[in-house]
Amino acid sequence: MQTSVERFDVLIAGVGGQGTILASRIIGRAAVIAGLKVRGSELLGMSQRGGAVYSHIRFGTKVEAPIIPEGTAHILLSFEPSEGLRYLHYLSKNSLILVNTKPIIPQTVSSGLSKYPELEHITQHYRSYATTIMLDATALAIQAGNPIATNSVMIGAMVGSGRFPLSTEVMLQAVEESVRKSLFEVNKKAFYLGFEKVKQILESEGKADVAL
Amino acid sequence: MSLRSLVGRKNGGKVLLMGNEAIAWGAVEGGVSVAAGYPGTPSSEIIDSLAEVAKEYNIYVEWSTNEKVALEVALAASYCKLRSMTSMKHVGLNVAHDSFMTAAHIGARGGFIVVSCDDPGAWSSQNEQDNRYIAMQAYVPVFEPYTPDEAKKMMIYAFQYSEDYGQPVMLRSTTRVSHATSEVELGAVHRLERKPVWEKRPDLLVYDSAGARRNRVEMVKRFERIVNEVDKVPFNKLMVVDGSKKGIVASGLAYGYVKEALNLLNLDGKVSLLKLGMTYPISKGLVKNLLENVEELLIVEELEPIAENIIKAYAADQGFRIRFHGKDLIPLIGELTTKPVLQALTKFLGVESPIDYDEVSRLSEAAARLPPTRPPVLCPGCPHRASYFSLKKVATRVANNPKRFGLEQVFGESTSPIYPGDIGCYGLAYLPPFKAIDLAISMGGGLGFANGLAHIVKAPIVVSIGDSTFFHAGIPALINAVHHKARLVVVILDNDVTAMTGEQPTPGSAVDALGQPAPRVMLEDLAKGCGVSYVQVVDPSDFKRSQEVLEEALKVDGPAVVIFRRPCELVRTREMRRQGVLPEPYTVDQAKCTKCMICITSFGCPAIYKQGNLIQIDPTLCTGCGDCAQICPHNAFVQALVKTA
Repeated sequence: MQTSVERFDVLIAGVGGQGTILASRIIGRAAVIAGLKVRGSELLGMSQRGGAVYSHIRFGTKVEAPIIPEGTAHILLSFEPSEGLRYLHYLSKNSLILVNTKPIIPQTVSSGLSKYPELEHITQHYRSYATTIMLDATALAIQAGNPIATNSVMIGAMVGSGRFPLSTEVMLQAVEESVRKSLFEVNKKAFYLGFEKVKQILESEGKADVAL
Repeated sequence: MSLRSLVGRKNGGKVLLMGNEAIAWGAVEGGVSVAAGYPGTPSSEIIDSLAEVAKEYNIYVEWSTNEKVALEVALAASYCKLRSMTSMKHVGLNVAHDSFMTAAHIGARGGFIVVSCDDPGAWSSQNEQDNRYIAMQAYVPVFEPYTPDEAKKMMIYAFQYSEDYGQPVMLRSTTRVSHATSEVELGAVHRLERKPVWEKRPDLLVYDSAGARRNRVEMVKRFERIVNEVDKVPFNKLMVVDGSKKGIVASGLAYGYVKEALNLLNLDGKVSLLKLGMTYPISKGLVKNLLENVEELLIVEELEPIAENIIKAYAADQGFRIRFHGKDLIPLIGELTTKPVLQALTKFLGVESPIDYDEVSRLSEAAARLPPTRPPVLCPGCPHRASYFSLKKVATRVANNPKRFGLEQVFGESTSPIYPGDIGCYGLAYLPPFKAIDLAISMGGGLGFANGLAHIVKAPIVVSIGDSTFFHAGIPALINAVHHKARLVVVILDNDVTAMTGEQPTPGSAVDALGQPAPRVMLEDLAKGCGVSYVQVVDPSDFKRSQEVLEEALKVDGPAVVIFRRPCELVRTREMRRQGVLPEPYTVDQAKCTKCMICITSFGCPAIYKQGNLIQIDPTLCTGCGDCAQICPHNAFVQALVKTA
């Protein structure tokens, strides 16, 4: 299976424990299946304990560095509404931003040390930067049968946007290779719920034609 | 990906691996027989991965007590002509440094690789030291991969190389190699059926001064041969572009960023470029060839200007007149990324940047200030939270009013406790709500520092140290405290694993690296054996007993040891899930909750949050540990699923 891609960069933002690493591995595996060169980078160790985390995953014939060059990422997947805002400098005006609208409130907010921004305000910032799709991926994962499948909803949404160069078949094969056998059906369902949801959003916004 | 899934895979296939998995698999393909290490980010997954396939390929794998022991275990195997390796984080090599230096004098008989995982940017370390300097000091050649795939190939090559030249070698990885991913091409697994050979050679192994002098001569000779033949090493690559008067040297991982930047500038293949995969010693032949073809040279390397200084000295020695650039354009501090490299290249090559970084910053900075601070926190149900809740409460109570405890002669009228800490998850207790770690400098360093404080300050000193860290480097400092009557409370947080690096077993665990039953070394026996008279073991979830014990310990004139023992919650809940048991989350009885906020401002479990005016528990985060129910003065936390008799 050979796909021709020079460089495609996905940045995943979220909170430790949300499955951002698994999501980047799924994308990386799919690219290996597609016969492409892959480069990625993750934050492990101390940062996984409920802190802000990110993964970079890149593929194509011309990728070399483990980190995405600033100002050039193709897609930002933000697993938590506010987390992606930390990394907009990696994007360009042509990027696509996909945001899970379910917030995770840190202790610093409960104890009054820090404030959680309004969702509307968050959305404005994303939209002023690049094309943005907001979806409640956690709710869709619960609908699929397990909130743990949120990452599959996000990946499905990314593929459903029409802006991701690898096929649905390859992506699902990578999901199957990456999750526990007993959880594959739930993840597949979650993938398609994300996929369909994004198509629906794009159609209703009349933006289906912005794809690619 | 578990390395187990690679067993029996055919050659030539490609899989996605993390750098540390690739290093481990390279060791398997390269015929390793013995591997030992001590966990430390970003190195831990190397030994974890080897342990997964140890039985399959007959490899002896252990998590050693510390890096020095690990290096010695591997050295013994190399001396007995087996291929061996040790892996550790960069600061771990400081611990192993003594034996590392001597190992370089002894040389390698079986291929011997020291994998040093450095941490530019200090993502999870106390510094960003560049271990190429330590290798240079020891006459140890250094291989530096720029991708996981190259790391795997280098491991295989380095075993043979180390054997051919009779010298230990370093594979220097960094966070962005160890914790990076790439496609990795699988090769043939090369298992050697060697018998270990012990030979009595005091001339080589006994370091009296005659031996040290003699073996230094031999070491220098071995290194001369390495230098003379360095041009043969395959991981260096020179591309000279005719007519281009400017050249670039890219050392190790920097090659990835240079290639990326050249691609963005559409200049790949248009500038002369030397890739260095062996970064010490540096290939003189390739450097000479490059210098003959350029007038200006930029040396790109992360952290210290090592290649830069070596190449400048060589050029001066050979009479080249070249304009050099290095750390004048490339940052000395922090990890590299494509951005600073691209900015350096635009200046060096006199071209425009295709990306307007000022514009990027202008557009993104306001948004980046919006998200709430989200520091890493102790996990829900973490036993350390209970330990620090009691520790802080009791230490503050005693320090505020020593007289009430009959301690005014010792601590004066009123003072504040001092909390020396150490390296581990519990280091997070330096943050609110506890702020009960005042220093965390190096493995075991808190206990040593406390030994000094005890003789010069009048305040309760409560040292906290994890079980694994205590085994690793705490014992000598505890013995010191006993012998010098240092008045300290030493709290050992025993959660049965090295938690921060991924729950590896410690000498106190009932299993070894392979999950096989292993004798437990009991912390209380060690403390008593060191001569500590007051030693107590308590479950931190028993808040009442914990606080009684801490109060007693603070009254002891000399070192007192309190061992808080409860397994890491990640391990406990994983075991529960494996058995199909789900946690039973707690919930808030709003009728009883007075919003006193103690649960948030003094306890700080991430599963407890405030929404509007109400305190709530997130059922997806709560592990059902029940600690909150004990610290709530109003009994407002109740288990959601109330079991009936």
